[in-house]
Amino acid sequence: MEWLVTGGAVAVCLYMAWTIGANDVANSMGAPVGAGCITVKQAILIAAIFEFAGSVLVGTDVTDTIRKSIVEPTALAGRPEVLCLGMACALLASALWLHVATFLGMPVSTTHSIVGAVAGFGVVAAGVHSVHWGRMGEIVASWFISPVAGLALGYLIFKFILRSVLTKAQPLPAAVRMTPFIVLLTTLVVALATIYDGLKNLIRKESPLAAYLTGGRAVVVSVIIALAAAALSWLLMRRYARKGGKLSIPEQLRWVERVFVPLAVMAACSVSFAHGANDVANAVGPLAAVLDILKSGKVVPQVIVPFWILALGGLGIVLGLATYGYTVMRTIGKEITEITPSRAMAASIAAAATVLACTRLGLPVSTSHCVVGAVLGIGLARGLGAVNRRVTRNIFGSWLATVPAAAGMAMLLFVLGHHLGLDALLKQLMPAVP
Amino acid sequence: MSLIRELFGKSPFGPLVEHARKVHECVKLVRPLMEACVREDWEAIHRLQDTVTKLEYEADVVKHEIRDHLPRRYFLPVSRPDLDRYLHCQDNIADAAQDFAVVLLIRRTKIHPALVQGFLDFVDQVVLVSETLMGAATELEALAETSFGGAEAESVLKKISGLGEGEWKADRMQRKLSQHIYSLEKELDPITVIFYEKFLQTLSALANAAENTGDMLRTMIVKG
Repeated sequence: MEWLVTGGAVAVCLYMAWTIGANDVANSMGAPVGAGCITVKQAILIAAIFEFAGSVLVGTDVTDTIRKSIVEPTALAGRPEVLCLGMACALLASALWLHVATFLGMPVSTTHSIVGAVAGFGVVAAGVHSVHWGRMGEIVASWFISPVAGLALGYLIFKFILRSVLTKAQPLPAAVRMTPFIVLLTTLVVALATIYDGLKNLIRKESPLAAYLTGGRAVVVSVIIALAAAALSWLLMRRYARKGGKLSIPEQLRWVERVFVPLAVMAACSVSFAHGANDVANAVGPLAAVLDILKSGKVVPQVIVPFWILALGGLGIVLGLATYGYTVMRTIGKEITEITPSRAMAASIAAAATVLACTRLGLPVSTSHCVVGAVLGIGLARGLGAVNRRVTRNIFGSWLATVPAAAGMAMLLFVLGHHLGLDALLKQLMPAVP
Repeated sequence: MSLIRELFGKSPFGPLVEHARKVHECVKLVRPLMEACVREDWEAIHRLQDTVTKLEYEADVVKHEIRDHLPRRYFLPVSRPDLDRYLHCQDNIADAAQDFAVVLLIRRTKIHPALVQGFLDFVDQVVLVSETLMGAATELEALAETSFGGAEAESVLKKISGLGEGEWKADRMQRKLSQHIYSLEKELDPITVIFYEKFLQTLSALANAAENTGDMLRTMIVKG
């Protein structure tokens, strides 16, 4: 019996990870694929590696028992079986909603779906007052702020590339000169998010002073790594510097785009990494909570995520990519031909930085929306031939629909499960707690 | 439907360059048309007129594609009305070339031997104006790459700065040729004179359209 429950929870988690891989990853990697920087196969490979790395390194060693503390855990302290059932329902509801929305052709976000589902279950299981509405407001605000932040960053980064490379009299040598700085910037963002957060997790029990020192050291280590990467990129790019001079500006611009290809690939890796850090936890966090409660019979604010669950999340994503995401990505590669490596690079760096910053602040945001924001920012900087501004309407429409839909579905599943006596069944499986 | 797929519209700049190339192919047939007229090779005129019409039609197809793919919901790096006007002007060049071919076709107008050189020189000047423009117009993609700014924009502006002077030269040649035609009015029948006037009008319309296109290109760059 216990195996059946565990197996069921694992299956739901895999399903959720599958929908992420099938849908979300294509959005985060669409720009570089469209720009022809990477093939669809390479994109799948990069996604498989970096999504996994992001989820393991930045994602979570520890997860909140209730995703992002939307519901007060103490409200359910005496009823671990309810929480257990609720988290399973929330996970299933958000995965189902993602699947339905994908089928209906709606652009939805994994994050919004799980947040809505958890809140929905909280309202039914523990009452309206147990939901931290302030926290919920913060999260919803971050959904406004993150595309706007992506837009601002996309605009600034692209303007910087324009000013420092594309509008120069000798764009090719300028591109080669700027490469180390762009590498430095990107690596620094990724390294900071990784090391700072990772080390902080390790010394959670230590004094604040130790945390501070480790943070400072993390910054130093990040800077060293970024400098090394920048130096390496300079060594690799040096050979292009002599090519300029005799070439006309349009010819040089074509070379500049070639020089930017590896940078765009690196930026794509960082988006994938950020996506893994931000979104994989959505799938594996609730599973970890369910299994932990099942084992201990207690409700604790935070639970350890075993490595195998993280690996499971990674596996689900790769499966989603291979079965469905591949097709989506191929369509994107064929349809989006109007983006060049310089634009893909700027959009990816902006999106990765926004997502990683929000993850650091504990705000679950949509990677897709940050990418869209960044692309719009580049459009605003006159960087793209034609940008569809109606997409912004779809973004807001998507979460306006997603949160209530996922919440409603979670409520329905929970009530259904309660009537079937699933929570009582779970209670029997749990060890008795004095 | 993935968000990112909806986000990107078709950039108009690649097709605009394609349109410019088609237009210039029309213009390149103006000199052979004039030569055929001088030779009184009516069959060649017929053939060339067919080709010009075909090319003009192909340019129209590209033009419609550009317009159809740009619903208002897209934002572009240049203002939408400017882009429309630019396309319209560029299209006028091909229209003028086609008009010239038609005028040659509808009547077997013989060129007076004393006027041959004048006509050929005028044609060359008009084609030169269009060539100058095309040198700049085919860089629209590179311009979009640099967001219509910087060194690339400067170099395009420099290229089109010669347009005004070229058009002014063509105007002067037209006046001189006109005077020359009327100095021979005793030797020419009136309908031939009418057709000479039509030659001059269509050719100067071509040079004018090229100059206007250049002006629109400048507007798109400078407004940024």
